[in-house]
Amino acid sequence: MDVKSAITRARRGLREERRLYVVAVTSLAVAFICLGATLLGVTNLDAAATRWGQSGRITLFLKDDADPQDIAQLRVVLEGLADVDEVTHVTPTQARESFLEEADVGADLSSLPSEVFPASLEVALVQGVTRERSESIAMRLTQFRAVSDVESYGSWFQKLDNLLWGARMLAAGLAVLVMFCVVAVIGNTIRLAVARRRQEIEVMKLCGATNGFVRGPFVLEGMFQGFASSLLAILALLAGYLALHDSVDSTLAALTGSRVVFLGAWTLVAMLLGGAVIGAVGSAVSVRRYLAV
Amino acid sequence: MQGTKVVRPFPFFRAGQRASQPQLAKPILVLEDVYKFFRPDQPTLRGVDLSVERGEFVFITGPSGAGKSTLLKLVYRELRVDEGRVLFCGRDIARLTDKSIPFLRRNLGIVFQDFRIIDHWTVFENVAVALEIVSMPQRLIRSRVAEALERVGLAGRGPEQTSNLSGGEQQRVAVARAIVPEPALILADEPTGNLDPHLAIDILTLFEEINATGTTVLFATHDHSLISKRDHRLISIDDGRVSEAQQGLKHWQGSSGIHTLVG
Ligand SMILES: Nc1ncnc2c1ncn2[C@@H]1O[C@H](COP(=O)(O)OP(=O)(O)OP(=O)(O)O)[C@@H](O)[C@H]1O
Ligand SMILES: [Mg+2]
Repeated sequence: MDVKSAITRARRGLREERRLYVVAVTSLAVAFICLGATLLGVTNLDAAATRWGQSGRITLFLKDDADPQDIAQLRVVLEGLADVDEVTHVTPTQARESFLEEADVGADLSSLPSEVFPASLEVALVQGVTRERSESIAMRLTQFRAVSDVESYGSWFQKLDNLLWGARMLAAGLAVLVMFCVVAVIGNTIRLAVARRRQEIEVMKLCGATNGFVRGPFVLEGMFQGFASSLLAILALLAGYLALHDSVDSTLAALTGSRVVFLGAWTLVAMLLGGAVIGAVGSAVSVRRYLAV
Repeated sequence: MQGTKVVRPFPFFRAGQRASQPQLAKPILVLEDVYKFFRPDQPTLRGVDLSVERGEFVFITGPSGAGKSTLLKLVYRELRVDEGRVLFCGRDIARLTDKSIPFLRRNLGIVFQDFRIIDHWTVFENVAVALEIVSMPQRLIRSRVAEALERVGLAGRGPEQTSNLSGGEQQRVAVARAIVPEPALILADEPTGNLDPHLAIDILTLFEEINATGTTVLFATHDHSLISKRDHRLISIDDGRVSEAQQGLKHWQGSSGIHTLVG
């Protein structure tokens, strides 16, 4: 196949059928935006899960009537553990202050008395402590007299894992759906383009053009549509990300301590290449079907 | 015409190769006992035998629906014979695989009644397409197209939009497209059918000039005023059979008159 001639003819085809291709690329871009947005969700959940998983911590809520001596003893025990990095005592007053500061909920809560906030020991674990390990440490700590309740955030992690799994499945399902979408839309576009160029195809065949020569530009046009629509989707997502991440970041940082991240380089490359490849394959399949040559 | 090399991957005309002596001696086109059925009971062509020598100019005539177009379609493999053989340069066309058909067609120039040129292309593009399909370098395409346009009397008209041309000029563009790859055989299916008598003679003369340079021409027409003006070999198809006169209508030996001959 003569690639140079195919490119020249594909460019001409794109120019002459501009409207057709603008419509196709726009609708495919919407499909790619849905996929990209889901992938963005997965990426961010994944990043958050990783961050939390690495900075393991346990909160020990203390009884209101706990003996200060018991608490001191507990601290000594905790600081003696190899898995523990740091222990901080949070008094009810401190808890109230940091709550009001972080939650930023308004004036009516500032009247809350500090008694509603229990005192606690914030235990930061060293890097690399597994979740199972932190669960078992938490289990043992419940037996201390001064401790009313232990939060090891295990159920949080479970929920996050479930969420992450669900998001991944959604992304995979959407990827398949988008693939079908691309094949269907490009197939339809090619069918129209073939019908419009019926005359020139006939002339080329009569002059002795091979099937490959006739099909070449259509495959390139399909490839271009796939690539252009995924690129368009990525640009739209990037624009959305840049416009929103400042405001989203501060809220998210307050809630979870993590920041919003954009799609990774490999995901972007995969989206672009995937778009181009599916576009080329889709048009190759349909040009074979509609161009009974 | 001479000098430039033509890429012809069809086996008997490989790149720039001129036909060898034994090939030159053989007829360029032979039909042996050819049958073509569109309905099982009634063949459109029945037992057609025909031999065309290199460099001949042949009129093919017969009433409407006689099978003139069908005969030509068998040669450029739009259709396949049901029985018999069609030999082009000694090779059986019916046995070609679908993949080889393009290479057969690169040795043929085909012209139709309805021109079949692309309106939204320029004159140059319409002619150049016949060379682009064999991936000829652009520089060569430009000079060969200019040369072909000059031969059909459209010198310098390359950049014009085809839709602005008159019918006669459009057919000239189609002829230029047919001759630009320097085919061995030109098939013209009623090329003057859409033109007025004066222009018809012009186009006929153009085909004769092309024939004079050594290209074989099959010219299908039912316009008997054209045929009667010339002394070319005449093949008539009627009721699926061919009969012929070696030298024009004057020498026609059939019992039937001109009018049954050309419809
Ligand atoms: N693809 C086809 N399917 C069925 N019948 C066909 C087909 N092609 C041609 N025929 C029939 O074969 C006969 C010969 O047709 P053809 O087109 O060869 O005639 P023709 O001599 O070229 O006529 P005209 O002078 O009107 O162009 C006609 O009866 C036509 O109906
Ligand atoms: Mg006909």
